[in-house]
Amino acid sequence: MRVAFVGKGGAGKSSLAGTFARILAGTGRNVLALDSDPMPGMAFSLGIEQTDSGLPDGAVEEYDQEGRSAYRLREGLTGTGAVMQYATPGPDGVHFLQLGKARGRQWSNTRQHFAFQRVLDDLPGDGWSVVGDLPGGTRQPFLTWGRYAETFLVVAEPSPASCLTGRRLAKLSAMHGAPRVLVIANKVRGTGDAELVAERTGLPLIGAVPWDPVVGEADRVGRAVLDLDPDCRSVTAVRSLVAALGESREIR
Amino acid sequence: MKIAVVGKGGSGKTTTAAILARTFARAGHPTVALDCDSNPNLGISLGIGEAATEELLSLRDAVDAGEQQHAVSADDLVDRFGVDAPDGVRLAVVSAIQNPEPGCP
Repeated sequence: MRVAFVGKGGAGKSSLAGTFARILAGTGRNVLALDSDPMPGMAFSLGIEQTDSGLPDGAVEEYDQEGRSAYRLREGLTGTGAVMQYATPGPDGVHFLQLGKARGRQWSNTRQHFAFQRVLDDLPGDGWSVVGDLPGGTRQPFLTWGRYAETFLVVAEPSPASCLTGRRLAKLSAMHGAPRVLVIANKVRGTGDAELVAERTGLPLIGAVPWDPVVGEADRVGRAVLDLDPDCRSVTAVRSLVAALGESREIR
Repeated sequence: MKIAVVGKGGSGKTTTAAILARTFARAGHPTVALDCDSNPNLGISLGIGEAATEELLSLRDAVDAGEQQHAVSADDLVDRFGVDAPDGVRLAVVSAIQNPEPGCP
């Protein structure tokens, strides 16, 4: 299964993606959790203390591509090798890799960005599931940071701005021939909210996650929702989501 | 006075910017609200509604597609790409780079 979470900032991508990755790993699969948000938040929802798990500059080497400078993984390093060597081990056996944060004014992130993209081009295949947390908004999710995904999960709240972002993502995905795009209604409070999200985004609904104060509390204290209360409403809903996607024959 | 509102996704940038803009406008200051987000929603928070916010975006898409000329000056941008929002705020959506190279997230 290769899924990527997209949506408006604040819709709950990181919280859901981190919880999703751990629950999936808990079923015995090899799971790679990828955070490609330059303002990373997935480490918290996975329950990983270290919030800077980027690739080292030395993961790539510079070469000349028809007169232009380009980067490729250094000789002998494969995408899988980079995951095994550089991913941070997390709870439930999750492997966590992130784009990496800026480290001070003088630090260039060019090599990190290329290294991360080269790993995306060569992710571990059979026997691995990939769960990605993409940057907020609509810029380049289908071509750049989420190009490994077989299924895009748009996280949308029942609000006009959140659903507008969902519609834009639906339009962009059609333009770029993206694979399956589904919507998760998040922070659902009343009956009809989930259907409203499906209607407003024009996307097929795969599941609904209820509004849950435990998520806000987890955010506040910087812990994983799953560690704070493994039986809370939102975690229960994500379990159903993992099951629903696992049962879908269209999704590997 | 020129104010930029920044922060992490979901922390309340758009809501804060909209309230600031309308508060200044109400106090009598000529106010321009610029939405520099690659996923612009400021129109909704300012209160122009969903449809008008979506229309502003398609204008930006037209520029990116080369069907419309880019603004030649700041006044031209606010004039041609702007829309009137409540309390006299003028809202304009600023085009973002649509095909950034890696290293320009």
